[in-house]
Amino acid sequence: MHLRQLIFGIWLGLMAATPALAATVVVVSSERSAAYTEAADALVAELERNGLPRQEVLQMTGLQWTAAGQLNPKLIVAVGAQATELLARAERRTPVLATLLPRASFERILRETGRKASSQLSALYLDQPLSRQLELLRLALPGARRVGVLWGPESIGQAPLLRALALARGLNLVEADVGPEEALFPSLKRVLDGTDLLLAVADSQVYSSASIQNILLASFRARVPMLAFSPAYARAGALLALYVTPAQIGLQAATMAATVLRGNALPEAPVYSKDFEVAVNEHVARSLGLRVDAESLRHSLRREGSP
Amino acid sequence: MRGLTLLALIMGTGGLAAAQTAPSVSEKDFLTDMPVVLSVSRLPQRLDETPGAVTVIDREMIRLSGARDVADLMRLVPGFQTSMAFEAVGPQVSYHGAFGGLSNRIQVLVDGRTVYSPYFIGSVEGGLQTVALEDIERIEVLRGSNSAAYGARAFLGVINIVTRDSADTVGAQATVRAGENGIRDAGARVGWGTESSTFRLSLDRRADDGLQGSNGHNQVDRVNFRADLRPDAADEIQLRAGTLGITAGKGFTGNIDDPTRDVRYGSGYAQIDWRRVLAADQDLALAYSHTEESYQDKFPYSLAQIGINDSIDVDISGRSSSDNLSLQHTWRQSPVLQLVWGGEFRRERVTSKPVYNTDAALVTDFTRLFGNLEWRPASDLVLNAGVMAEHSSVDGSSLSPRLMLNWHVAEGHTLRVGGSRADRPPSTYEKSADVRFYWNDHLLEITTQSSGRVTREDVLSTEMGYLGVFPSLGLNLDVRVFKERINGFIRQWNATQPKDYFNQDDFSVQGLEYEMKWQPWSGAQFRLAQAYIHSSAADQDNGAVSGLPLAAPRQATTIAFVQRLPGALDFTLLHQDNGTMTLQGAGRLDQVAFTRTDLRLAKALRFDRLRGEIALVVQNLGSPYPDYAPSFAFQRRAFVTLQIEN
Repeated sequence: MHLRQLIFGIWLGLMAATPALAATVVVVSSERSAAYTEAADALVAELERNGLPRQEVLQMTGLQWTAAGQLNPKLIVAVGAQATELLARAERRTPVLATLLPRASFERILRETGRKASSQLSALYLDQPLSRQLELLRLALPGARRVGVLWGPESIGQAPLLRALALARGLNLVEADVGPEEALFPSLKRVLDGTDLLLAVADSQVYSSASIQNILLASFRARVPMLAFSPAYARAGALLALYVTPAQIGLQAATMAATVLRGNALPEAPVYSKDFEVAVNEHVARSLGLRVDAESLRHSLRREGSP
Repeated sequence: MRGLTLLALIMGTGGLAAAQTAPSVSEKDFLTDMPVVLSVSRLPQRLDETPGAVTVIDREMIRLSGARDVADLMRLVPGFQTSMAFEAVGPQVSYHGAFGGLSNRIQVLVDGRTVYSPYFIGSVEGGLQTVALEDIERIEVLRGSNSAAYGARAFLGVINIVTRDSADTVGAQATVRAGENGIRDAGARVGWGTESSTFRLSLDRRADDGLQGSNGHNQVDRVNFRADLRPDAADEIQLRAGTLGITAGKGFTGNIDDPTRDVRYGSGYAQIDWRRVLAADQDLALAYSHTEESYQDKFPYSLAQIGINDSIDVDISGRSSSDNLSLQHTWRQSPVLQLVWGGEFRRERVTSKPVYNTDAALVTDFTRLFGNLEWRPASDLVLNAGVMAEHSSVDGSSLSPRLMLNWHVAEGHTLRVGGSRADRPPSTYEKSADVRFYWNDHLLEITTQSSGRVTREDVLSTEMGYLGVFPSLGLNLDVRVFKERINGFIRQWNATQPKDYFNQDDFSVQGLEYEMKWQPWSGAQFRLAQAYIHSSAADQDNGAVSGLPLAAPRQATTIAFVQRLPGALDFTLLHQDNGTMTLQGAGRLDQVAFTRTDLRLAKALRFDRLRGEIALVVQNLGSPYPDYAPSFAFQRRAFVTLQIEN
């Protein structure tokens, strides 16, 4: 697989080296799996709809980009953290818009590459702002007051912001840290004790396909519903998920790209997605005796406006 | 583990390598698919969609009640009668009628395993003692006949004890309790494990001097082990094993028919449950369990009164064992249709030379096929249609159907109407008892000899229910109006000698019961359970051993008030007012009414990483009341409990 990708990449790289492939926008994806393709396709289609000829947009993987040599586009859109990291290290002349990656990833890349977010390197985040998550919590479970949060080494950085937001909304946070290689149970027990909701903040040390069974079973036993960050968690058993689809990311990235093509700069501060989706596990809702409707929640949340 | 980490640090490599290989959060965390965890069989029906009335007593309520026993907790459930006597193995509970010294018309399950004893006429007293209260997550009491889902023994209801998942009890806990009436309980529990497997081992003892007037010095010793294994996302395996020993003082000084002695009951079990998630909407559950029981009650009986200068042994000791294998498939065909179906095979062996006059084991095989269809013809309607076909190798086949319609009239208001039919085949003893007394190979007397003519009794239940939730008032209400028509009620008859069992009575039990939970203000909870029960059983003696007409009180009320106070204090007041009824171990003329008031005051403790509680409980503040028999009384008992856990 790797070898074939490499050969294909070299071949494409040779092709790209020809002047005929000079493009206005280059889309560099971490990989070619479904979510990345969905984001990139939505981006290209929207750019085309806005009048940019399709041949002006070049799609490639990070590997192909490395092999491609000089391209001189007006904008590079990175899809995924791996592509972003590659571009953050290698590309300093062309503005780069990083997409389809969570804020924690973008900030880690900035730290590791010694760069700063700027109009040369900006981002459209995949994760949803904490304020929007708390707003969804208010709409879905108006009576909830105590919110449990499990922090891991990669999410703990968001703790000060969440504490401030919770305080402003009159919510009590019940927090627990899960250290690296530390068992989950004691922390999980603490955050489920008497809480109304478990707010899942993405952290691969805490939430993974290996740990999700324990977390969801324990929270269900405690009758504490979970507000998660991806629809896969809602399917698995979280009551709610707030998320943006790759297509929605592609669409917004296209709008941002169009601004750059009109001669404006990328926003210096990275942005969150304007659009989003709400997923509800209706079976879990029914079993917990809760009435929550995904569509009306999404509607109300949109009306509240983007933060 | 810590040692290894330290070693790695000393070596100067391990820590670094770990830091480098640790995955960092990326879009993968948002985009990767997850296994379905809360699959269909893990999502229980809502209380307002179950095909019957359910009372849930959760861990918090168990703690706040001050109870030392599952049987004592059943006082919180409308329609239940309880006794704290250890005369019939252990404390007794019955629903809509304490029809005798042993309760055999309700089913008791502990984590899905039936603990109904096939010994004697069938009973649940020993089974109710299976686990320590500290290990119980919740008790679900299904009020009303439930044979369509749980088989013949759920004739009038089911007590479903659910123990805590071992993932929730990682750490250690110790409990000691001491007080009046010789109360000296102690328990220790340890839980350990990893993300994929957790374990729990609990040992406990519950001991006291029993009821006033009894030869009580009762002791319950338990060991329970539970393992929860999650080898992968689709599979869950649970292993359980344990032993129970009950020693109870019985009899009366100077009574040659019933002298003072110790009676011993022992049981042991092993259980394996395997659940596999087949798909988001399909689960398969396979369960096997083996249970062993022994009963020892033996005393010398002097033959002086018949002119023989010798004695014989009066002995009702014996053993029983059971094996249970079941397979269940849960399938959510669509959002409007869900099916649970499966099969079960159960083999019971009862052995007692003195009780059955044979050394051979009396074997009964049960084969069961069951199904329940949950259909939502409209968004506000839930129809549960269930049926169990059961074949007993001793008593043939029977069919127990149930139909229940739940209508969500408005948000928070549900009406329920339906009916069911169930049979209970006679137990091994009712069918085959042969109690003989020999002296030097001379048959002296046959006291009980079942002719085997007795056949199954049946119940036709109809009910209407209402469930109301009033969020603005903090109030939940559950009302059940019922009529249970019992035909061919099995009981022993004294008119003949030896005693035999017959399908003697047809009668109905009807009435109304409700429970209300109300949180009037912060930190407070009222819980009111009330039952009005009327039995149409004829008020006649005819030599019946126990009295049917007032097997349940006409009126019974239990009120619990719980208030959280400043300074981490919890206050509980529990008051029970039980109308006139026939005592479990007495004749129909021994009818009593009683009241009992309990108080509990507890303070939460916290020292560094340890949490705990110290509680003072006073049970029955008032004067002693008769329990089980007129000569026994439940007297005041105050005790202190200290519990520490990490």
